[in-house]
Amino acid sequence: MKKWLMTILLSLVVFSLAACSDDSDSTSGDSGEEDSTSENSGNEEETSSDSGETVALDFWIFGSTGYQELVDEYMEENPNVEITINEGEMNDMHNNLFTSISAGSGAPDIAQIEISQVEKFLEASDQFYNLNDYGANDVSGNFLDWKWAQAQNVDGSFQIGLPTDIGPTTMFYRTDVMEEAGLPTDREELAAEIDTWDAYYEAAKTVKAETGKFIADTPKLVFNALRDQQEQQYFNKDNELIIEETVKEAYDYTTKMIQEGLVGQNELWTPEWGTAMAEGTYATLPGAPGWMVANVKGNAPDASGLWDIASIPEGAGNWGGSFLTIPAESEYPQEAFDFISWLTAPEQQLRSFEIAGLFPSTPDVYENEEFLATTDEYFSGAPTAQIFAEAAQAVETVHMGVNYAVVDTELSTALTNVAVDGADPQDEWDAAVERINSQLERQ
Amino acid sequence: MSEKTGSKKVSISKLFVYLLLVIAAFLSIFPLYWMFVMATNHNSVINSVPPAFIPGSELVTNFTNVINTIDFFGAIWNSLIVSVVTTIGVLFLCSLAGFAFAKFEFKGKNFLFVAILVTMMIPPQLGLIPQYFIITQLDWLNDLKAIIVPGLIDAFGIFWMRQYISSNVPDELVDAAKIDGCTNFRVYWNIAVPVIIPAFATLAIIKFMYIWNDFLWPLVVLREESSFTIQVALRGLIDNYVRDNGMILSGTFWATVPLIIIFLLLNRLFIQSLTEGAVKS
Amino acid sequence: MAQTETTLTTKKKSSLSEKTKEAISAYIYISPFFILFGIFGLFPILFSFYLGFQKWNGLGEMEYVGLQNFEWILTDQIFWTSLSNTLIMWVLGTIPQLIIGIILAYALNSALIKMKSLFRVAIFMPYVTSTVAVAIVFGIMFNNQDFGLFNVILGWLGFDPVSWGTSWWGVKIAISTMVFWRWVGYNTIIYLAGLQAIPNELYEAAQIDGATIRQKIQYITIPMLRPIIILTVFTSTIGALQLFTEPLIYIGRSFREEGITVVLYLYREAFTNLSFGPASAAAIILFIIIIIISSINVFIANRIGR
Repeated sequence: MKKWLMTILLSLVVFSLAACSDDSDSTSGDSGEEDSTSENSGNEEETSSDSGETVALDFWIFGSTGYQELVDEYMEENPNVEITINEGEMNDMHNNLFTSISAGSGAPDIAQIEISQVEKFLEASDQFYNLNDYGANDVSGNFLDWKWAQAQNVDGSFQIGLPTDIGPTTMFYRTDVMEEAGLPTDREELAAEIDTWDAYYEAAKTVKAETGKFIADTPKLVFNALRDQQEQQYFNKDNELIIEETVKEAYDYTTKMIQEGLVGQNELWTPEWGTAMAEGTYATLPGAPGWMVANVKGNAPDASGLWDIASIPEGAGNWGGSFLTIPAESEYPQEAFDFISWLTAPEQQLRSFEIAGLFPSTPDVYENEEFLATTDEYFSGAPTAQIFAEAAQAVETVHMGVNYAVVDTELSTALTNVAVDGADPQDEWDAAVERINSQLERQ
Repeated sequence: MSEKTGSKKVSISKLFVYLLLVIAAFLSIFPLYWMFVMATNHNSVINSVPPAFIPGSELVTNFTNVINTIDFFGAIWNSLIVSVVTTIGVLFLCSLAGFAFAKFEFKGKNFLFVAILVTMMIPPQLGLIPQYFIITQLDWLNDLKAIIVPGLIDAFGIFWMRQYISSNVPDELVDAAKIDGCTNFRVYWNIAVPVIIPAFATLAIIKFMYIWNDFLWPLVVLREESSFTIQVALRGLIDNYVRDNGMILSGTFWATVPLIIIFLLLNRLFIQSLTEGAVKS
Repeated sequence: MAQTETTLTTKKKSSLSEKTKEAISAYIYISPFFILFGIFGLFPILFSFYLGFQKWNGLGEMEYVGLQNFEWILTDQIFWTSLSNTLIMWVLGTIPQLIIGIILAYALNSALIKMKSLFRVAIFMPYVTSTVAVAIVFGIMFNNQDFGLFNVILGWLGFDPVSWGTSWWGVKIAISTMVFWRWVGYNTIIYLAGLQAIPNELYEAAQIDGATIRQKIQYITIPMLRPIIILTVFTSTIGALQLFTEPLIYIGRSFREEGITVVLYLYREAFTNLSFGPASAAAIILFIIIIIISSINVFIANRIGR
């Protein structure tokens, strides 16, 4: 008797647990209910979309894009399209996309992918729609060539995404430090004075001698600035490691600056890095893209008028920026494509520059008077849009390779060891190359 | 005389114990205090060297920014549901299983117990993709069930309950209750449960805090804002390239406050059960 | 004693059915764990085991490669570094945490202390504090530069500043301190629950017999607490061997050799280098190591205080 009593009890337990979770479900917000219904309706639409009913699109974004406003506008103009934005932290969104694609379910209709992750997803190009099939070729002329090429496979037949913003690099500098060092404070004159990396090195010595300050506080930024000017960086088109020929020079230049005490040892994004920005303990921030503006303002709210922007010696690179892709799970690739090609068109890119400061990847915008007239009082009234636009047009197409991050992480470690521990540059380089090779070997 | 030195000895050791506890309490609570300080300051103050040690004036501004960026209270509500349901479920299931392992004899007992312990030894990080796959097969994406049900698997909880019950529930009591004709479940319910309230309180505190603060798994399976738990929602405060640490820590700090309240409530239970025990004996 | 004898005799009447009933109840009580684990835990484990013999980047097709992955891992010097790092940090972070945990629990349980709940809440706070805050706070304290809190303290004591983030011992000490700080309160609460279950009468009786504090601890506290001590030693050893969150917070995605742990190593292989095969092989090797160390652990723990 007790036996079956227990069985009943257990089933009661199981039942009550089930009830609990059901409960939590419904209380988790009516919105939770909405989700499931909208999903269901999404499935129903699969059959009924021909009859012109609503198309529901899931749209994953990260960071502050300001896209909600544009999405609302688009939905107003296209009442049959319903777009739901899911916004999250950049790495989280990429990880979720990776997990979804790996497990074969759960990917959205449209996913934003950052430049550093594009190659990884290009490896799984069967999991995405080739946008060329939906008319991407027709709009390719809207965008900067190098940006467009970043979302392509090697032979250019597969286009994984449409370009959104870019991060062309310039050189931010402290006018007060430059003045103290007896260097030009005017952005044009300074760019003329520091027009090569040799000149940058000379200026570093002047700054050090006159003010005791560094020319830059982060070795990695100096290295990045030089690296980004190479046509080939870590890998060639056959994905062979070629750092010895391409970036060793940049590494040697940077380590020489470190050893002569011309460059500091702060790492990016650390509190001391932010503090140095506010206190002006260095002269330049080389390789700074448009989105760095907000960083400087956030870290140094009282330094308004002390910063300015000049072009970088020997040409600009690119740091950051994203693409919009359509994972193969989407049931409405055409509708999704129509939307993203609208969203990345020059007019909308200009809007998102105005709303959220995303720098446009469409050169058309660079001729817009209103756009070019953008100045920033914080940066001593510099015509920021114009400076970044000039930099954008100077960027070259670079093949990054899927293992870019592996190499970059290890080279960063080498630079840190040289800067912080005073390690021997060549030893650190060799050790980094060894670590890189052992990781690449296994893929 | 001897009494006097005795009391002196007591007071010295008492002083020593107090000193130890004060130091430990200070070191433990300091980061939390600092989090509060940072939550009330502007980002630039947080990054300054040396950092601020006294609260600033941005308390309201920072929290307003949090509320404007994420659905803070909705996420707190989801977290409460998940944490409460999981904790209650774990307390019940683990104490039942722990009771069985501690007081019952059955075939394969040792083997099954070791099997439970072995499940703890597998590094969980790689299971992410297959586990996600199971959740999608169950159609539990964006559903709090995806957190609650796997959360009920708690090898530590079973281990804990078994250890506690085996040393604190006397065999004599269990046997006596059986002679009185109690069913096995009644033995558990009437004999074991009242004795192990402190064990419940301990496990509840640990489990609740764990579920509340966990974000690795929720991040994977909760993708729609309406289903976000607080830790997932807080991730949304981290911007792409620009970090407002003042806002981030403000959200983080206020998300900790409910935990402290829960802890105080359970703490009371902890003490109550003790005094009850004292009265009984 | 007499009571148990009588129970035994009365029990004998329906002995067999009583036993089976007990067994059936037991199986039912423990079944939820195994059912849920079968659904959510078993498949991932089998999958990882399978992956250990495959080449897979997480997105494309799998390819059987035999023991290649294991060979790679076992001949990778960084894997062995990660293993020795893990063991060193286990000794530095976990063992002191258990000892201090017992001492704090004993102090909190002592009848002399007022404001117990206040102290209890305070000491448990590190477990409640979220990792975001921990990362920032410890990043500032273990700053490489002279103004970092710990370097300032070293300066007072007349030592040179340490580059915590890059030096061989600096990284390990910083991570171990974080582990220690985060988990002392957790273990204290567990020990406290165990201590509170020890009846006061035992101590009172010992007091009458003229026992010293040390004798009381040796003959009452430790033996009564033994099951709980075994539990904490066992679980914290596993936790230490699977150390992941703290080093990830402290060294971040640089995966520096000085601070990389085994789980961080396999995490890097899988999710940043997309080598799921070698990552799974490393997980299997770690699993075997954990089983061996846990067995030794349990063996020793069983002998202590017996």
